[in-house]
Amino acid sequence: MKQRIWNLKLQPKLLLGLVVMAAVLAAALTPTISRLYRRQMESYYTQLAFDQASIAASLIDGDRIRNYYPSGEKDAYYEQVRQYLLTVKQAMGLRYFYVVVPEEDVMVYIWDAGTPGEEGVCDLGDTDAYYGGGDELMHAAFSPDAEETILITNNEEYGYLASAYVAILDSSGEPVALASIDISMDMIDQQIRQFVLLMFLVICGVLLVSVFAYYFYIRRTLIRPLGTLHQAALGLAEHSMDHLDDFRVDIHTGDEVEDLARAFQYMTGQLNDYIQNLAQVTAEKERIGAELDVAAKIQADMLPCIFPAFPDRHEFDIYASMTPAKEVGGDFYDFFLVDDDHLAIVIADVSGKGVPAALFMVIAKTLLKNAAQTGLSPRAILEKVNNQLCENNEAEMFVTVWLGIYEISTGKLTAANAGHEYPAIRRAGGGFELVKDRHGFVLAGMENARYREYQLELGPGDTLFVYTDGVAEATDAANTLYGTERMLGALNAAPERGPEELLAAVRSDIDQFVGGAPQFDDITMLAIRRRDTGTEIMKKRSVEPRLECIETVSEFFERELTARQAPPKVIAQVNVAIDEIFSNIARYSGATSATVGCEVETGRAILRFTDNGRPYDPTQQADPDTTLGAEEREIGGLGIFMVKKTMDRISYSYTDGMNVLTIEKSW
Amino acid sequence: MTIQKNLQGTTLRVTLEGRLDTTTAPQLEAELKASLDGITELDLDFEKLEYLSSAGLRVLLAAQKTMNKQGTMVIHHVNETIREVFEVTGFIDILTIE
Repeated sequence: MKQRIWNLKLQPKLLLGLVVMAAVLAAALTPTISRLYRRQMESYYTQLAFDQASIAASLIDGDRIRNYYPSGEKDAYYEQVRQYLLTVKQAMGLRYFYVVVPEEDVMVYIWDAGTPGEEGVCDLGDTDAYYGGGDELMHAAFSPDAEETILITNNEEYGYLASAYVAILDSSGEPVALASIDISMDMIDQQIRQFVLLMFLVICGVLLVSVFAYYFYIRRTLIRPLGTLHQAALGLAEHSMDHLDDFRVDIHTGDEVEDLARAFQYMTGQLNDYIQNLAQVTAEKERIGAELDVAAKIQADMLPCIFPAFPDRHEFDIYASMTPAKEVGGDFYDFFLVDDDHLAIVIADVSGKGVPAALFMVIAKTLLKNAAQTGLSPRAILEKVNNQLCENNEAEMFVTVWLGIYEISTGKLTAANAGHEYPAIRRAGGGFELVKDRHGFVLAGMENARYREYQLELGPGDTLFVYTDGVAEATDAANTLYGTERMLGALNAAPERGPEELLAAVRSDIDQFVGGAPQFDDITMLAIRRRDTGTEIMKKRSVEPRLECIETVSEFFERELTARQAPPKVIAQVNVAIDEIFSNIARYSGATSATVGCEVETGRAILRFTDNGRPYDPTQQADPDTTLGAEEREIGGLGIFMVKKTMDRISYSYTDGMNVLTIEKSW
Repeated sequence: MTIQKNLQGTTLRVTLEGRLDTTTAPQLEAELKASLDGITELDLDFEKLEYLSSAGLRVLLAAQKTMNKQGTMVIHHVNETIREVFEVTGFIDILTIE
């Protein structure tokens, strides 16, 4: 289909061009050649006419003519001459051959060659009017040394004539008459017509032959090879370029078309190489991408990401988040208990991005944790890790670190800063502000760098917020920095929020600020809040693990709950829970000592039962079937089931030889 | 917890006040054990009962089983907390609550 359309385009164009060229050629040649031919023939006939006229003029005795005109008498010589003229006229095919005396207004015939009875033949003494300018010309010729001037006339009466006049002289050299010849040139027109017709036929014939020859030539050398190339290209596309390497175009025309085919083949080969190469590169990229994803996952998993991180520690709330800009980033945070009373908090930013930063981050994080867990002070940790990182740091990477050791029981925080951002602190009741601590040099920057440590104290309800430069240096579409002022603004919008909500608020504020602009740096934040539980975080009371003491426990909790305006229903539910849990301890644990603890905030209570009995996790107990009838019902397990159902959370741990059961109830 | 009993023929009305828990449940258990002989109708009034724990449920279950054999047992004036306990534990289907 496409092939046909394509064929129809080029072939008629070329053929039409050929026809037009022939037509132009014919149109240009025909008049030129005709004119040339006409001139040639006229010249020939003129010469012929003059030659015969001259011969006649020289042959005829001029003196005798005076005898015939005006006397009008004929003699033998007259007849002889007439015969001569007639012979010549017939032999030469002349139209008229005659001798006249040109008078003023008419010409007077002496001889006029013609067979007897021939129409229009004049006799001696006949006169005739001049025609077609013959008057002037004849008088001009009527002289002994007249120029040879031909008269060419073309009229209805006599046809296309060439007339020559030559003076006949007498013995004294005076002109007495004119030997005149009229040659018909009608055949010239006829010949020219024939010539034009012939030429037209020849051109048509030649054209026809040429067109056929040209057609086949074009087909063979241009159309067919181009068609082959066309089909090959189509085939290539139809087969989704699957067989680029097999692509061959069989064209051997030895001209530009073959060059084109070869170029096309070359291009296809190159294309094939390119595609192969691209496929390889893409596969490689995909592989690297997949590995990077895994790396990013591993990296993310290295950071503590289960919250609440310390469900058993009710002295503080901690929350942290990291949003890497690329697949793997260089930011990290960390927090872990050094011992029961000390929490290490780390936030850091490795120089650079991507895999190198991630690898360095792993090393830095590990070294920091190792050093911190040996119980060193922040200053000592940074100094030690700095020197460790400086060894073999060929890549010249470095890391900024803020590290704090938080004493849980007192809220004292000892911290050191290795070129990291200022932490922000919020005192209970106030707003967040930056702590302009003294920065040391970055870690891995210089061996034996010294660091200073300083102390902060987190009062009850105080919150500490640390972050990386990805927060302050987040930029919007207009490249405006987010900055610490905006960060403090976001924090202070509702500073009393818990760490998780605070981080979410900052995060959403940054997102809002940045809009559609891409994230350039990792965004990492960490917040820790010391819980506001009065001077004593959890009120505790030792109780003997006996059934008789349940009332004591109930009274203890009830007092705390009532003080915080807990609703009676909650108090009743809590009492049921106390009854169930403590009776279990008293009956089955074999404990010799028990402690109950209570922490009540507005709207929430945390109760803890600690005993030194046999390890037993009541949360693992299977729930009873509550659909059975009275006769099938067993009473065991109902108690803890009720606790699970009425309390918001129940958690168990066995630490230091103690069963610790914690329940939470909000209202 | 205080327990008031009111016997009229074979109908025993028991009014509970306070908390029915591990400590007090044995008390009720003992009272019922001593009084249920020949009773065909046991009315328990929970109007002044604050809450009950699984120990209380155990006593109620035992009483229900006994009364299933000799008559009916109906619990009156159950507060929201106790009703929830009954619902959660499936006792709502075992007991007759009015």
